[in-house]
Amino acid sequence: MDLENQKRVKEFAEKFGGENVVVVIGAAEAEAAGLAAETVTAGDPTFAGPLTGVSLGLKVFHICEEEIKSVVDAGVYDAQVGMMEMVLDVPEIAKEMNSIRSQHCKF
Amino acid sequence: MNSIIKGAAYTLIHAPDMVVHNGTTQTTERIVNPNSDYLKALPKHLRSFDDAAIYPPNQVYIGNQHPEFLNTIGDLPWYNKLIKGASRFSKNGEIMPEEEFYLLMHAVDAFNLVMLDADFIKKYKPIFDKHPVVTAELKAKIGAGFILNDIEAEIKNNHAEGLYFNHKLIGCVKRAHDIDENLSAHVILENLVSKASSVTALLNLIKHTGISPDEVDMVLDCSEEAVGDMNQRGGGNLAKACAESCGFVNASGSDIRAFCAAPTHAIIHAAALVASGTYDNVIVAAGGSTAKLGMNGKDHVKKEMPVLEDVVGSFAVLISKNDGVSPEILSPYTGKHTVGSGSSPQAVTKALVADPLEKMGIRIVDIDKFSAEMHNPDVTKPAGAGDVPLANFKMIGALAVMRGEFDRTQIDAFTAKHGNPGWAPTQGHIPSGVPFLEFARQDILAGKIKNSMIIGKGSLFLGRMTNLFDGVSFIIQKNAGISAQNTASDIKKPKIILTGLGSEHGEQNMIEGALQASKANAADITYIGSNGDHSKAVSIVETNCEKIMHEKMDAMLNSKQADGAVTMHYSFPIGVSTIGRVITPAYGKAMYIASTTGTSSTNRAEAMVKNALNGIIVAKASGVKTPKVGILNVDGARSCEKALKDLKAAGYDIEFAGSNRSDGGCIMRGNDAMTAACDVLVCDSLTGNVLMKMFSAFTTGGNYESIGFGYGPGMASDYEKLVLILSRASGAPVVANSILFAAELVNGNYKKVLKDEYKKAEKAGLEKVLEAVVKASGAKKSTAKKAGAKEIKAPKQEVVDTDINGVEVENLDAAVEAVWAAGIYASSGMGCTGIVIQVAKANEKKARDVLIKKGFLVKE
Repeated sequence: MDLENQKRVKEFAEKFGGENVVVVIGAAEAEAAGLAAETVTAGDPTFAGPLTGVSLGLKVFHICEEEIKSVVDAGVYDAQVGMMEMVLDVPEIAKEMNSIRSQHCKF
Repeated sequence: MNSIIKGAAYTLIHAPDMVVHNGTTQTTERIVNPNSDYLKALPKHLRSFDDAAIYPPNQVYIGNQHPEFLNTIGDLPWYNKLIKGASRFSKNGEIMPEEEFYLLMHAVDAFNLVMLDADFIKKYKPIFDKHPVVTAELKAKIGAGFILNDIEAEIKNNHAEGLYFNHKLIGCVKRAHDIDENLSAHVILENLVSKASSVTALLNLIKHTGISPDEVDMVLDCSEEAVGDMNQRGGGNLAKACAESCGFVNASGSDIRAFCAAPTHAIIHAAALVASGTYDNVIVAAGGSTAKLGMNGKDHVKKEMPVLEDVVGSFAVLISKNDGVSPEILSPYTGKHTVGSGSSPQAVTKALVADPLEKMGIRIVDIDKFSAEMHNPDVTKPAGAGDVPLANFKMIGALAVMRGEFDRTQIDAFTAKHGNPGWAPTQGHIPSGVPFLEFARQDILAGKIKNSMIIGKGSLFLGRMTNLFDGVSFIIQKNAGISAQNTASDIKKPKIILTGLGSEHGEQNMIEGALQASKANAADITYIGSNGDHSKAVSIVETNCEKIMHEKMDAMLNSKQADGAVTMHYSFPIGVSTIGRVITPAYGKAMYIASTTGTSSTNRAEAMVKNALNGIIVAKASGVKTPKVGILNVDGARSCEKALKDLKAAGYDIEFAGSNRSDGGCIMRGNDAMTAACDVLVCDSLTGNVLMKMFSAFTTGGNYESIGFGYGPGMASDYEKLVLILSRASGAPVVANSILFAAELVNGNYKKVLKDEYKKAEKAGLEKVLEAVVKASGAKKSTAKKAGAKEIKAPKQEVVDTDINGVEVENLDAAVEAVWAAGIYASSGMGCTGIVIQVAKANEKKARDVLIKKGFLVKE
């Protein structure tokens, strides 16, 4: 995950409390989504950014997961995400995200 | 006239020592974690020059192999599928080893900032001197060199950046200023690498295209480095510096920066400069980046594979005056992501791909090959970034699915046919669309493909000035020949549907009309009807049912399989009126009648103002630049005249016609209609309908319309579908003319004209003018209800398949409500002979009785 984004996630978690933060990821691949999810839960696996060794355990979802899709207006979702939803391997992404959440999510 | 792509050159610099010493992943690691396992393991993962030179994606980059070759070598990884015996040179590029490149950096260094070890020079200069494209002037610039002690001292004492070869120090780049960090050794090294690598591509381009260096007028550099000092950090003109090194004595230069999208931006600029006649030969060039070397090195080392990001990439493209042979760049049809486009991948793809194609009137599948972010997946996949080009092609395919061009299950087939596997080094701007240009040029010349769209995308947020994304695109296509101006029409003729069922003269009459139109070769015609006996000039969709015929027609229009349709007995929504075109008898001059069927408003005067606008739009879209508008002397003409003149006074330019009669003015009498004193004759639909029949059938007695172009397209500010109406009495010549009329409107981009004209009219206060005209006409809107009247709600909607004729237009809404009040669902629409109330067949009698009882209908 981009170092600047790690910094912002860390600041938000400190400012609002980890229980009040949900991270929504838009990565195009299960592996990349998983890495980003791991970064905001267990800590930066690349040991490069501000979240190195910081286990925030935040709630984290991919935009294409049902949990997020179900709370977004269907028209807006279709206009903003519909095309990508067609392109991405959503089951694979959801599987990866679930795996990271079950291991590292604290909330 | 469009500019052309004369040729493109591509070069790679194999730079393993720069991976270690200048790539930011490695330099950052050395600061953060100097004893890391990664840094220790890295040297073992660097490739030899020979391995890098015969690596399949690199061989594709320099043009020795076509991208399709990568489909034949099997699944990833590719780094173990080397092409034995492949050459480091190609006809339009090369892969240069690091030692030769250091000498070239020295040769292009104008400020004596590169110091090379004397022994190194002695050893490698003889090889450098044999280089086939480096000029004698550059070769002569190589000096004797320095002793290593002096180089070490420069690094130790003055912050020079070391240059290494086979892990040994062989030179350095000095800082160019003691304090200014923009001239620090680090920055100078990056800029010199960019300059020298750009020069390799420029020199190869000269060889490849055969252009003389003194014929180059302009160089545009689109790399990603900032050249300047502390007072003008991005001052620029690396382009001119490169032009100087290459001996382009008649060229100037300038730099274009837009992150990874810059090459595509620069080519659009260059194409416009040449198309406008400003210059004849413009080169777009970019050197590569040391910072991005080994960017994903950690992942590659972790996965026990070679660090594949060990090459600096560069390219150069020559854009020249149209030679009638080379593929053209379609300057009028570039795509751009605008500030307001939106940032979702959907919005981005639409702006870059769909919008320009729509402007051209072609579909996504009409582009043979797309090229966007052609990153080598052998590099990106192990780093978790996926297959970037494939993801791009899938997005384009998904957009085509959303636009109804094909089914979702066909996306993979689309990506395979319209895309390519990626091969370009991950140097940001280098893979950005342009690596395919030379292949596209050659494939188009060979007739393998007819066109290609090149897409560049940029991540502007990296510079922290905006969160916006950026991207641009352009299309190249087969040269239409030196005389062709309208390049869009070459790519595809408008696709026009003709429906045949329902003609009073039989289907053979309709088919005859289609065949007559096909001779003009101006449209691809699809005939919907029962299969008639006709030649292959027209494609056929079979049906015996009028309802299914119209459904098929609508489906084809909605999915953009067709651009327009010519039909009979078609119901437009209220608000749409049709604009006919006739040949007037006095001088055989054409005239638009606005309108001929349909109802643009239930208020007569308001309808006439809207008809005037719609008439202007149709006239303009079919080639009348400034149509002269006249108003037929019927009830409401003076109110309409006042309204149009108010609109003109407020800034909407209308050219008024003058009557032939002595009192002049824009109110048209019968003889003005006969002589076409105006281009657009404004009237109400019922009068227009009568005129249409008179002008089309006055030589035949009425049953057979033999002259003119038919009742014309349905128009309204928000109605984009192109449907032209014929009478059931229209004869074959009118059918043929109507098809060609439709094609004219597509070629004239009627959608844009419609949008532009209404926008201009609205800016001039159209809404207020219409309100005023309604008020002045003294007419109450038929929708106005008596105070205290109960609002009547529509009963549950059901399918309405029966038309009831005979209700006066101003009573339409009230009549529908009266039927509703009786518990019957009804809607209003436009039938062949005027407005209709539509109900279900079973309710027809009951509805008629209600309408008669309430006085809306006369008892038959």
